[in-house]
Amino acid sequence: MLDVSRRLLRYRSLLSTLVVRELKARYRGSFLGYFWSLVNPLLLLAVYSFVFTYIFTPKFADEANPYPLFLMCGLFPWIWVSTSLLEGTDSLLSGAGLIRKAVFPAEILPMVFVLSNLVHFLFALPVLAAGLLWGHLSGFPVGGWGAVWLPLIIGLEFLVVGGLTLGLAALNVHFKDVKDILTNVLSVLLYLTPVLFPLSFIKVAWGHWAIRWLNPFAPFSTAFQEVLFNGLQPEPVLLAQMAGWALVSWMLGSWLFSRLADSLVEAV
Amino acid sequence: MSAAIEARGLGKDYRRMAAGYKLRTLKSALLDRSLTDGLKQSELIPAVRDLNFAVSPGEAFAVIGANGSGKSTLLKMVAGILKPTAGEILVNGRVAALIELGAGFHPEISGRENVFINGAVLGLSKREIDRRYREIVEFSGLEEFMDEPVKNYSSGMYVRLGFSVAIHTDPDVLLVDEVLAVGDEAFAHRCIRRIEEFLARGNTVLLVSHSLGLVEEFADRCLWMENGRVRLVGEPRRVVDAYRQAVAEAEGRGHQEAKEQRQSAVQGEPERAGDAGDESGAAAEATGDEGEGGEVLRWGTREAEVMSARLLAADGTERYNFSTGDQVVFELQVRAHEELEDFVFGIGVFTFRGLECWGTNTTLAGFESDALRGDVVVRLVCPSLRLAPGEYSLDAAVHARDGYAYDYQRKILTFTMTAREQGVGVYFPRHEWRFEGGVKWSRVPRDA
Repeated sequence: MLDVSRRLLRYRSLLSTLVVRELKARYRGSFLGYFWSLVNPLLLLAVYSFVFTYIFTPKFADEANPYPLFLMCGLFPWIWVSTSLLEGTDSLLSGAGLIRKAVFPAEILPMVFVLSNLVHFLFALPVLAAGLLWGHLSGFPVGGWGAVWLPLIIGLEFLVVGGLTLGLAALNVHFKDVKDILTNVLSVLLYLTPVLFPLSFIKVAWGHWAIRWLNPFAPFSTAFQEVLFNGLQPEPVLLAQMAGWALVSWMLGSWLFSRLADSLVEAV
Repeated sequence: MSAAIEARGLGKDYRRMAAGYKLRTLKSALLDRSLTDGLKQSELIPAVRDLNFAVSPGEAFAVIGANGSGKSTLLKMVAGILKPTAGEILVNGRVAALIELGAGFHPEISGRENVFINGAVLGLSKREIDRRYREIVEFSGLEEFMDEPVKNYSSGMYVRLGFSVAIHTDPDVLLVDEVLAVGDEAFAHRCIRRIEEFLARGNTVLLVSHSLGLVEEFADRCLWMENGRVRLVGEPRRVVDAYRQAVAEAEGRGHQEAKEQRQSAVQGEPERAGDAGDESGAAAEATGDEGEGGEVLRWGTREAEVMSARLLAADGTERYNFSTGDQVVFELQVRAHEELEDFVFGIGVFTFRGLECWGTNTTLAGFESDALRGDVVVRLVCPSLRLAPGEYSLDAAVHARDGYAYDYQRKILTFTMTAREQGVGVYFPRHEWRFEGGVKWSRVPRDA
């Protein structure tokens, strides 16, 4: 499983070339270009904000005020996670031409999507920063130096998403059902991860426990809310949890990928 | 010196893609890193079996064979794209595979950017591509199109750019799969020249091709694969000849089968035809048996019938494939249902488009009929049939001197002619080129 990591490092220039290609190709010929990467997150933000401010009045209004800013801190990373997983899982099939016709390090393909979506997420960060600044200036207790932890959190979450995508992509070659299952799991997971609400809001003890300890994305979402919205430094337990998930997920995903790597060319 | 490419007991099985194996193949892939270990022999398709050969550095090695004989699988194993399921393949040096040119070109982005991406896919660093970029573009001849998105390229342009990038990766071993067939003549020549230079520098080429002429001209050695195994390895001319012979024989067998089928279809009900033979010769059309597309294949009043026809080779065996210049015997079995004194035997040779190449009959040859009764055998011997390479069909008939048909059969059989050399038309005389004065050739066929 180490060889997957080693190959990804060795082919990093190819990887970056392909990420750039992916980004360019996506917006080639469109008028708004990169701004499209902001449209979807902002739209979701507007809808959820509307629903949870004017239709349901949530009980966590005090903990997460102003709600749109709170939501942004969890939603933007979540969009990175879910699109990476969806696109990355399908990447070996959509890139079948490459791995069947050329000597090509297949592990690169899933990573291209994780990275290009990460770039979209990073491009959205200035919007988030501007929002927090506005909130801060308007007198809300949002934002702070906790944000310096952001690179570490993103780095660890990259390992979680990358590992899962590698494993799922390899499995998806053998069972095309993987992608369909994933689509459904992700739409449920949005509500089982503290994205739309803070973790503390889950009052049912066993539900709180399960989401906190069993959902690999929960600590990350909580951490983003902590360091961005509250501007605090993440608790050591949270850091340990994230590091643990990163290690487990990357090891498992790259192990699965390396076991299936030899069979990919024939199976796609 | 060690071999550039060496195969030892090389084998590759594919699995049959049926439902129900999926879980087992996944399990075997996870536990043994093999898709096929958990499968029974009946669930596998052997694509390449027990292949042993070695290619020395600087050699041009060709692989020929019918579709599905395992050529491309072999090439992909040499390239390292596919893993063998048995034996091993050793390759010394850097390999470039011209298997599918432009694999990984992205349609939406420009030719220039695609050169860099394709180069990176083929293992070049950005600096290496920078250094070769001009040369790559020049060779492809696409200078003015480099800023266009690749989706606007023609398929020929696509292949030209792909080839150009691949050939500029400086490999030690070049694998070429049928790619020279694409692109225009001028570019194909440029590619071949480039590959020849590449060979001259002491590099190795493994070529898979259906273009036997190219193989004969180009290769130092040739491997003929059949059903995943080696059928013959050796000097290209000998191997290609043997291969051509085998293909012609297979075609001949096909002609024979087709003939037998046609015979049972057309001559299934000879009695009915006899009844219809009333006094009015006009009924002839009505007794015709139709072939495909409503074409009338047989007509006549059947006082006498052509029971069967076959072709015989010089050694007396029945065959339907010949080399131009071979002896061919046309043999007809004829049965007279009543005694006839006015009769003519004739044959005609046609191309499939219906062009009459040659025909003759006993009247034209000067025979005058006297009596025909019972079963007879008619043989027309051609000591040297000089038809051009191609497929032909034979008409055979027995009729009266005025043309009144007793039995006329169109396309009673088909056969194939082959020749070492190509020619236009249907006639292929013995010939030889000679020149006097200031004529020089950069290449002369090996025969001359």
